[in-house]
Amino acid sequence: MQLFGIWVAAFLTLGIISFLYKDNPWYKLCESIFVGISAGYWFVALFFDAIVRLFWEGITGPDPRYNLIVGGVLGVMMLLRLVPSIGWISRWPLAFVVGSTAGLYLINYFSSNVMLQVQSTLNPLFGSSFGQPIFSASLYDTIGNIVIAAGTFTGLVYFFFSKEHKGAFGGAARIGIWTIMITFGASFGYTVMSRMSLLIGRMEFIFGDWLGLIK
Amino acid sequence: MTGRPTILTRTIKLSILIIFLFLSLFCHLLTAQALPAAIPDSSSFQASPPTNVRAVDFKYDRGEALEVRWNLSSDDTGSNFITGYEVFRAGEKSDSFVSVGFVAPKTESLTDKSVERGKLYRYKVATNYKGNLAYSEISAAVAPEMDPINWNLLNLFIIGLIIAGAVIYFIAHAKRGKKLFIRKIAGLEAIDEAIGRATEMGRPILFIPGINDMDDVQTIAGITLLGRVAKVVADYDIKINMPVSRSLVMTTARETIKEAYLGAGRPDAYNDDMVRYITDEQFGYVAAVDGVMVREKPATCFYLGAFFAESLILAETGNSIGAIQIAGTAQPAQLPFFVAACDYTLIGEELFAASAYLSNEPKQLGSLKGQDVGKLLAMIVIIAGVLSATIASAWGSEFFAKLTEYLVRIFTIQN
Amino acid sequence: MKRQVPLLITLIVGTVLILSVFFPPAERLGEDFSIFFDIIAVFAFFLGGGNLVRIHGNRLYRKGKDWGFSLVTLLGFFIMLIAGLFKLWNPGGISADVTATGSLFQMLYDWIFNPLGATMYALLAFYVASASYRAFRAKNREATILLIAAFVILLGRTPLGVYATGWIPESFSLVQIPNLAIWIMSSPNLAGQRAIMIGIALGVISMSLRLILGVERTYLGVDSE
Repeated sequence: MQLFGIWVAAFLTLGIISFLYKDNPWYKLCESIFVGISAGYWFVALFFDAIVRLFWEGITGPDPRYNLIVGGVLGVMMLLRLVPSIGWISRWPLAFVVGSTAGLYLINYFSSNVMLQVQSTLNPLFGSSFGQPIFSASLYDTIGNIVIAAGTFTGLVYFFFSKEHKGAFGGAARIGIWTIMITFGASFGYTVMSRMSLLIGRMEFIFGDWLGLIK
Repeated sequence: MTGRPTILTRTIKLSILIIFLFLSLFCHLLTAQALPAAIPDSSSFQASPPTNVRAVDFKYDRGEALEVRWNLSSDDTGSNFITGYEVFRAGEKSDSFVSVGFVAPKTESLTDKSVERGKLYRYKVATNYKGNLAYSEISAAVAPEMDPINWNLLNLFIIGLIIAGAVIYFIAHAKRGKKLFIRKIAGLEAIDEAIGRATEMGRPILFIPGINDMDDVQTIAGITLLGRVAKVVADYDIKINMPVSRSLVMTTARETIKEAYLGAGRPDAYNDDMVRYITDEQFGYVAAVDGVMVREKPATCFYLGAFFAESLILAETGNSIGAIQIAGTAQPAQLPFFVAACDYTLIGEELFAASAYLSNEPKQLGSLKGQDVGKLLAMIVIIAGVLSATIASAWGSEFFAKLTEYLVRIFTIQN
Repeated sequence: MKRQVPLLITLIVGTVLILSVFFPPAERLGEDFSIFFDIIAVFAFFLGGGNLVRIHGNRLYRKGKDWGFSLVTLLGFFIMLIAGLFKLWNPGGISADVTATGSLFQMLYDWIFNPLGATMYALLAFYVASASYRAFRAKNREATILLIAAFVILLGRTPLGVYATGWIPESFSLVQIPNLAIWIMSSPNLAGQRAIMIGIALGVISMSLRLILGVERTYLGVDSE
């Protein structure tokens, strides 16, 4: 059975890789299998996780949470979309979802992405950290502190919508976009090796587990 | 001119030596007193227990935590002489104490988050010296209480109110006819051109709203942009193809596109199959979308929403078919790939501004001004904070040190 | 009613959730509302799954283009569904965990789902190479900066970067590629990340307020105000 599974996995692996050459029936077959199997998988997983564990056991369990019925009612309202005459009711759970997303994200992003980021930037330019004397940091760290403060500031200037990027403002915006490009380049370079390791993993399966050429 | 040392010089040197010896002996005596004369035998020695153990209600919570505080054991002299402190808890009338936590030496408190609101608890703390425990007196019974307001978040509330207030102010005061200047965003200016290209070539548009569900604000931003794009698509009478990864997104997208076609006076041209559900699985979805791209060869591809590793697969496949690609996401890790592979990229904030930008409505554009107020506030605080921290470091100025501490404190979220 | 009630729901729910952070008695509302969303999403899945079955079923019925692949999709979907819902071949029976070892559901996951997903992920190695090639044709200053930063970081994580600049004396160690890579990650990269994150947060705040106040209504299929 295990051997059969390995052959199936190898067939599907090579089918997906064949897409790199061009679209072909082998890839289409693998794609169709993937779509069907994964859609079925996620339905089963969500059903047992949300409907059975969270909803049903939440209501009928030893410590019942009857407020979950609200979720059930909203879910059923969603399905009323299938009835054209009252399909407009499905907008209500949608409005609920959008409202709760907006409310939750506003506070979460504000505290983690504004407050925390601004607070972390408030360091002396020529010292190792606040409270330490001037020039207590190495040249390496001092240049780094200046770059962080200036880069963050000019990056924000770049994103300004209300002023055209001209003159001194434009100059600062240009430094900002250069800083942002360095950030993008760093992210790009950083992930290249991890992407290569994914391929190495599949090649180990093909040449090791399937063909037995690597022990 | 060097010569033999004089008596005065010798006397001075001798005096300095005696003073140095005296100071050394004095320091040795001081440090000697802080250390025990010898390391005690661990099998029998018990370090002295902590004193003044008390429990206080953890502030501004739902009444589900208590903070246990104590004064350090006299044997907690540093250098990890003792192993640490162990905290024990019992109910009001029970004598059965259970351990609720262990902390390192030189620690004077522990937060117990496994308590129930309204129930009384007592604590004792033990000094642990290599497994030998020396228990303190038992604390008075305390019950955790729920506080109605979390005053620790006052700074968050005030700063949030300033920024949100600015956004609301500019939305409310936007006047019709008054032109608000907003700088050009290349990716958004290119939308009309990109859709026009699809019309000329007679090929469809592909719109991908990301792979997250409607509980992600990026997906909502993508859907609001879909509304703008769909209006143009309806006017130009070209096909829009929208494979989606979530059922709720499918439902919302259909409403949006249907409304766009209604608004363009072409309800008959709308078809529910423009939006198709594929699968919730990230790479299954990408495999299917890749297939759609190479078979239907859309002229223009929009990627607007939350993306993860699949961003590069989509963008590179779009490149291979020669499509114009406009992308936008607030996932910082995926932006580099879109920037490298797509023709236009909306970077982070620009994705959220896009819908307001394209609407050209004063109220929507007013919200962008409010965003800029937030940025201005951040920039001012950064300049003020960095300069005052630098001056405080350089000249030891107490005023600037206090100013820096104040700025750091108001931007710190306390738990 | 059809348009005003949803806008009112968005306003009330959004405002309540924002304020709930500041009032401990209402702190759990965020968690509860997330659970409601999970439940709504599963109910919505019936619509999505139904759409999947309808589209492929129609193609199969009319013998449309590539109808054979639609048959495969439908078979895969129903086999996985039945295997999971009825816990076929599950050693623990109907009450056991659906992902128990030896169950048909888990076998299909291990032999089909996993290899397909892992291989799609592995394609990124090829695509990152082709994206890098395109980026190497740096057409402007910004692309050149991106390219140079990527190159330094990439080399800094390989032995080649160590050998290439290992001869540089210690007093100029900052320009040794591995050290330069570390400095780029900890300084300009951090600055750019912060600017992007602050901008994103402000964008989220603005977008959220537009949604809550009903200024932005496109998602409801209603023209904006």
